[in-house]
Amino acid sequence: MADMREIVRVQEVRKSYVMGAETVHALRGITLIIYGGEYISIMGPSGSGKSTLFNMIGGLDKPTSGEVYIDDVDIAQLEPYELAWLRCRKIGYIFQTFNLIPVMTALENITLPMVFAGLDADSARDKGAELLKLVGLGERLNHRPAQMSGGQQQRVAIARALANDPAIILADEPTGNLDLKTGREIIGLLKQLKEERGVTTITATHDMKMLDVSDRVIWITDGMVGKIQQREELEIKVGTIDGREV
Amino acid sequence: MERIFDERRRGIRHKVVLPWRRTLEVCWSNIRHRMGRCVLSFVCIAVAVAFLTSATTYQLIISDLLHSADVHTQAVLERAGMFVNDEEAVRRQHDQRLWLMALSAFLCLVGISNTILMSVTERYREIGTLKCLGALDTFVVRLFLVESVFVGVLASFAGAVAGYGLGLVQAGAALEFPLLSAGACFRVLGLVVPGAVTLGTVLTMLAAAYPTYVAARMKPVEAMRTEV
Repeated sequence: MADMREIVRVQEVRKSYVMGAETVHALRGITLIIYGGEYISIMGPSGSGKSTLFNMIGGLDKPTSGEVYIDDVDIAQLEPYELAWLRCRKIGYIFQTFNLIPVMTALENITLPMVFAGLDADSARDKGAELLKLVGLGERLNHRPAQMSGGQQQRVAIARALANDPAIILADEPTGNLDLKTGREIIGLLKQLKEERGVTTITATHDMKMLDVSDRVIWITDGMVGKIQQREELEIKVGTIDGREV
Repeated sequence: MERIFDERRRGIRHKVVLPWRRTLEVCWSNIRHRMGRCVLSFVCIAVAVAFLTSATTYQLIISDLLHSADVHTQAVLERAGMFVNDEEAVRRQHDQRLWLMALSAFLCLVGISNTILMSVTERYREIGTLKCLGALDTFVVRLFLVESVFVGVLASFAGAVAGYGLGLVQAGAALEFPLLSAGACFRVLGLVVPGAVTLGTVLTMLAAAYPTYVAARMKPVEAMRTEV
């Protein structure tokens, strides 16, 4: 379980977008703390602002006001190369649409962050192959994204997120484009990685299957934190579809 | 648990890198696997440069012949509608030639810009992803520029050579092939081909630099959201 050291602190974060004559308030003052080693699910319906919050925590976008601290450092104050270093070495991103580079093989996709981290080609290849094995795709080194199923592509994306042994994994709707069974497998894999590697995992999702593996669930409604629930407080009821547990 | 940032955040500047060797490998891999798109860009650039080169070659050959004192050459030029002994007409034709060359240079610029702009903007999502993986803005610009220089140089060279040949054929057909002396042809070759290759490459680079710079400066999430 978490070691109770603050790893991410979001302080009164607001984000507004101007769309034509209208201003959309995606986040309306979010404050939360995430501890090292936690598995957090940011839950909420589409348009609730969870992906916007995800982008803020990951340093992929800047808040209109408020601060995001990673390890007590306000990421808005980081120099561009420090931000690049943070994205390269300390945060692993997983996206709903996988975002693999289409012309690269699975192995090339995984080793790309290692290139930026300065790892030599041989070590990167070995580590990449090991990571592919870890996500169950040891035989697919030279397959391109178009030659793989959605679930396999997401596994490659997970392996890529782990390339530089990050402290935090950020996953935005990682099961959003996957069928039920594959989604479960991906969730299982994320849980396994969290347990084995102690990586702080933050997912933005509306997939209720994610509840079962989360240490805490942060419910976002209308750009604000509705409630934060511990794993024990959740009432998880297992149902069946076509005779299978979901 | 290890801290993410040490006390003074020392040494971070040199911890995100993209060595030149890897830059070339990534660029070559991109070109190889996007061969269809690259061939299209190659053809567009080559055609634009060939158009400029053929127009320029033709005009330079004619200009060269207009200075000839040879009676037969003057007779052929006059038969082709070029007034050798009318200074006013010669000046007018010179202005027209300049205008034609300027127009072909402009068409070359538009053709190349359009091709390269499209091939970069359709990869905005990829640029956003690269930034998520830790690429600095300069890495993104470098990757795209090296790729465009590679395509630009090859296409401009092919276009310049083809355009030069076409320009000679055009001049020979309009006048007489024996009038094209080897000396004049080489002089024009030395002037036109290096110029066209340089211009084509620089235009390709500029056309690639602008959208790449814009995309590289975007926040990753914006680049990934951009649909072209």
